[in-house]
Amino acid sequence: MGMRDTAIVGFAETKIVEKSDRDVWELGADILESLLEKTGFEKGEIDGLILSSSMTGAGNNFWSQATADQLALEVDFCQTVDIGGCSPTGALARAAIAIDAGLCTTVLCLYADTQAAESNQRQRHFQGEWTVPQGLLGPPTSFGFISNRYEHQFGLDYAMLGKLAVAQRNGAVLNENAVEKLRKPITIDDYLNSRMIADPVRLLDSVMVCDGASGLLVTSKKNAARKGLNKIVVPVGYGERTTYRASEAIVDVTETGHMPAGQKAFAQAGISAKDIASFHPYDDFIIAMMIQMEMLGFCKQGQGCDFIREHDFNFNGDLPLNTGGGQISAGQAGLAGGGTNLIEAVRQLFGEAGRRQVTNTSNAVVTGIGGIPYARNWNSSVVMVLTPNG
Amino acid sequence: MTQINDTRGIDREPPKWRSFSKPYWDATREKRLVIQYDTDVGKYQFYPRATSIYTGKRHLEWREVSGKGEIYSFTIARRARPPFQGHEPFFIAVVMLDEGVNVMANMVNCTVEEMKIGMRVKPYWHPLSNGTHLLMFEPDRS
Repeated sequence: MGMRDTAIVGFAETKIVEKSDRDVWELGADILESLLEKTGFEKGEIDGLILSSSMTGAGNNFWSQATADQLALEVDFCQTVDIGGCSPTGALARAAIAIDAGLCTTVLCLYADTQAAESNQRQRHFQGEWTVPQGLLGPPTSFGFISNRYEHQFGLDYAMLGKLAVAQRNGAVLNENAVEKLRKPITIDDYLNSRMIADPVRLLDSVMVCDGASGLLVTSKKNAARKGLNKIVVPVGYGERTTYRASEAIVDVTETGHMPAGQKAFAQAGISAKDIASFHPYDDFIIAMMIQMEMLGFCKQGQGCDFIREHDFNFNGDLPLNTGGGQISAGQAGLAGGGTNLIEAVRQLFGEAGRRQVTNTSNAVVTGIGGIPYARNWNSSVVMVLTPNG
Repeated sequence: MTQINDTRGIDREPPKWRSFSKPYWDATREKRLVIQYDTDVGKYQFYPRATSIYTGKRHLEWREVSGKGEIYSFTIARRARPPFQGHEPFFIAVVMLDEGVNVMANMVNCTVEEMKIGMRVKPYWHPLSNGTHLLMFEPDRS
């Protein structure tokens, strides 16, 4: 299929900060310059621009066009992807199909947001009418419901969620781009004793909104070869599902669109969960990663805690997971935060993860979660399988 | 018994309705709960939408229901934005109505120890400044 003919030739990332004193377009410029320097591409060779959503950009309906203008990129294709935390991986998939369709040849996928410093969002959604009057904080509240329901149906050993939190924090300590505030080791007891936000969701279950940017330079394999770039990463499977089981009034909140999205991505890639060399699941809350393990077939539904108990998720463990800390320990760069785990997966496959480099780089799986619906699980789910040199 | 803020003392703005949800809010003026019913498939849906979630057609009518149901899940909000900020903790529950839809709401007359998934509940109507009422729930001890 066409996606396999695509090559990621470079990745870039800024440090994640609690509140940026630099403009979102300056962060974007950093990413552009870094990608050009790493790959040897000229600016004029970039003829596509795909952006993730951005809370800073949310006030501008011309966001991709305005950013192309700011960065002086003359492009044949531009768009902003608006599926929340799925947007960065979704942007990569869209870059691949745009290149395969001949719309453009080389795409800058740019994920930049300064939500903490400058949020311009004014959402039109159900919340104003149906959840603001109830005092819903948003995602933490929803993950409170999801967690309580999960515990009711299957039982839940919170120490196992803590084990994931500890492994991710170990990664952040080794990641110089992680937000400084979180680069201190934690224990399972620290996790269990952290204060409740929305029972049973704790502080150390949750992401901290930060600012930052990342990006990928994507072109055709043929073009990468022509440029003499042999070190590439290739998307070999992708699944995306928005509003899973939308035609049902009540949906089991422990079941998500990652099941169909994962099946599709794994079938395209010709792998199953047991073949995954490193796993980079979207982490807005710790339990989201466990539910994704179940949906992707690492274990049966309801057996996530047992699975976690049996595995080591550190970079040198048997199933390396979000080796740079994930969003929960590296900081969530607003709506660009879905780029953090994607970039880490690509970095691992390039073999450029330094002190936290995994040994098995035969593939990496990255996922996304986007949007919180009414009394359901989450709106969008994506799964992508990446391999080095296709 | 651990008491928890029932949120009745919080001064909240009445929500703005949409063209297709107005019948819901109109009925709450008389403390009546009406929800959308798809006459083709014989099923209810909530929250109100412009279309049937089942068919994509608009064969919907408003039906009055009892509002009785059971707790599907819940959380205790310990952090909130204004005007709820400073009034934590309070419950936000997901209630599965007997008609087969989930509704999110605050809880009154309910202690932390009493709150359980599966607990039977009945509606409680909280007055808002524009004459409509906000749907809350309380334990149905009958």
